[in-house]
Amino acid sequence: MTGRRLRAAAGLAAAQLRHERTRTLLSVGGVALAVLAATLLAATGIGVVETGQQKFAAADRDLWLTGGPVEFAPGSVGGVDSSVRGAHALSTNLSAREDVRTAAPLLFQSVYVRANGTDYRTVAAFGVPSAAGVRVTEGREFEGDPHYAGGTYDGPMTHEVLVDGRTATLLNVSVGDRIRVGGTIAAARDNEFVVVGVSPTGGRFLGAPTVTVPLSELQEITGTTASDPATLVTVTTTEDADAASVERGLERDYPAYDVRTNAEQLRATAERQAVVLAGGASLVVLAVAAGAALSLNALLSMVAQGAEAYAALKTLGTSSRTLALVALVQTLVVALLGGAVGIALALPAAAALNRAVAAVVGFSGVVQFGPRVVAVGAAVALGTGLLSGLVAATSLVRLEPLSVLGD
Amino acid sequence: MDATAAVACEGVTREYGGGRAGPLGRGPSRPTVTALADVSFAAARGEVVGVAGPSGSGKSTLLHLLAALDTPTAGRVVLDGTETTALSSRERARLRLDAVGVVFQRFHLLSALSARANVAVPLVERGVPRPERRERAESLLADLGLGDRTAHVPGTLSGGERQRVAIARALVTDPAVVVADEPTGELDTATGERVLDLLAETAADRAVVLASHDEQALARTDRVVRLRDGRRVSDGTVDDDG
Repeated sequence: MTGRRLRAAAGLAAAQLRHERTRTLLSVGGVALAVLAATLLAATGIGVVETGQQKFAAADRDLWLTGGPVEFAPGSVGGVDSSVRGAHALSTNLSAREDVRTAAPLLFQSVYVRANGTDYRTVAAFGVPSAAGVRVTEGREFEGDPHYAGGTYDGPMTHEVLVDGRTATLLNVSVGDRIRVGGTIAAARDNEFVVVGVSPTGGRFLGAPTVTVPLSELQEITGTTASDPATLVTVTTTEDADAASVERGLERDYPAYDVRTNAEQLRATAERQAVVLAGGASLVVLAVAAGAALSLNALLSMVAQGAEAYAALKTLGTSSRTLALVALVQTLVVALLGGAVGIALALPAAAALNRAVAAVVGFSGVVQFGPRVVAVGAAVALGTGLLSGLVAATSLVRLEPLSVLGD
Repeated sequence: MDATAAVACEGVTREYGGGRAGPLGRGPSRPTVTALADVSFAAARGEVVGVAGPSGSGKSTLLHLLAALDTPTAGRVVLDGTETTALSSRERARLRLDAVGVVFQRFHLLSALSARANVAVPLVERGVPRPERRERAESLLADLGLGDRTAHVPGTLSGGERQRVAIARALVTDPAVVVADEPTGELDTATGERVLDLLAETAADRAVVLASHDEQALARTDRVVRLRDGRRVSDGTVDDDG
């Protein structure tokens, strides 16, 4: 009996969906919109977290030491107010600890660059004490950082630079070419560097066209050697050391600095993007709400248009349960179709977004489409369909035949 | 009350309104409207009974009570041997499914379904298997002269054809009583007469109660109950009234 009733309700629901094509398409479109928005955000969220974790894992660092948030300083040379002072001495002290294998200060600045035949451009600069951990895809690494020379900055400058792909395209340079780099245009005029290799590391770290140079040479050309700054210091612990206990030790010995593990640093990075994340989440909530409202509206108007016929069926003894079943089957069919369309659209949309993200900020695979994302899309479709179905079913259950028919 | 009648009511009164308005029931008193006052009625199997009266006389209210769509404020209604007054909404729905067919002035067919499917819908609730539903619907439609229109949706049928589909739907459960409210109100004269003929034919083994303003329609009934201001004013043939 129940199976028969269900099949009959499904037949009636299917007939109505076919008959009301425009409303059906609008409802399917509404659910698809909600599913598309939710799956893309889920794919991006998962992608960002996993990409971040992969990057931190690939960086082969255990702890990150900063003097507080990195502040942009418009108008100052370098454009970034770095929070660590005396970076070389600090990293030397850190490296001397038994539980620390290496400590490397990293400096992020903005610099002017120019190649023959181009105007000065502003790009990000990534200062590192050695090329260890910097991946080179073409050419070779630069040869250390001899300019620091025990704190005097009297050592020779290598004048060697690595560029990322986007900087190479921006300046139309390749390995062996020469470019001018400096914190000011005047400094850039005086400092010519040889492009010794192409490296994606700096660009992926900073999400912008980037040149990678020895740390002390970056400090020199941005006029900051007096304070020996770094944006952060990365620490690799010895193999038998526990990162959490090293973190606690560093926090105790260097209270002026924030010490974070990879996970904490990733979380802190995400928290700094809270406004962007909240904006994205709000857009998805709005898209889901709009999709649900659209499908609900279309389905309820379908029910409203058939109200007299449904009321007539009630007068003939058709139970509220059967009519509610018709509404639920209709909305579930719409939800399934909308979910399938939304997920099908999300695949090319995710690929397009990945291409766009890679072109703009240099990260690849940020939008990761997988089974978990499909599950999110299916859940949104099912939720939207069930909500619409329950509201439509409730309106049918409450339908008073005499007030509707009014005869 | 006539215990052998297919449907009967005794001293029924139906009042609407009353109580107090407002969400907490503290507003002004609402007036009580008496739609039907102390009306008794009976229709036996094989009988076509007309219900006549001007607008607001209580025709529709009486039909709703007879069809177990509503319950009286006072009095008793017995439909196919079951007193409806104390039944729950679900029990009345089940009784309607088993004992009543309703024909409306404006047909009220599901526009998405074929004529055959519209007729078969009440059988779904009864758990009748699909092949049997289909066979009974086609057979009824053929009896009503719509054998070649079974696959058509209501939008492609004329008014008379739609009303015949509605009659077939009312008859498909083989009810003891068919209630028709202004069944010819939307039809031209010739088509209306055809529909009335069909309703009369269906009364062979059931009671048909037909509300109408149309004296020509009422003339084709076995007797006419006339209402005015919610009260029965006469019960006899059209000739008696004349």
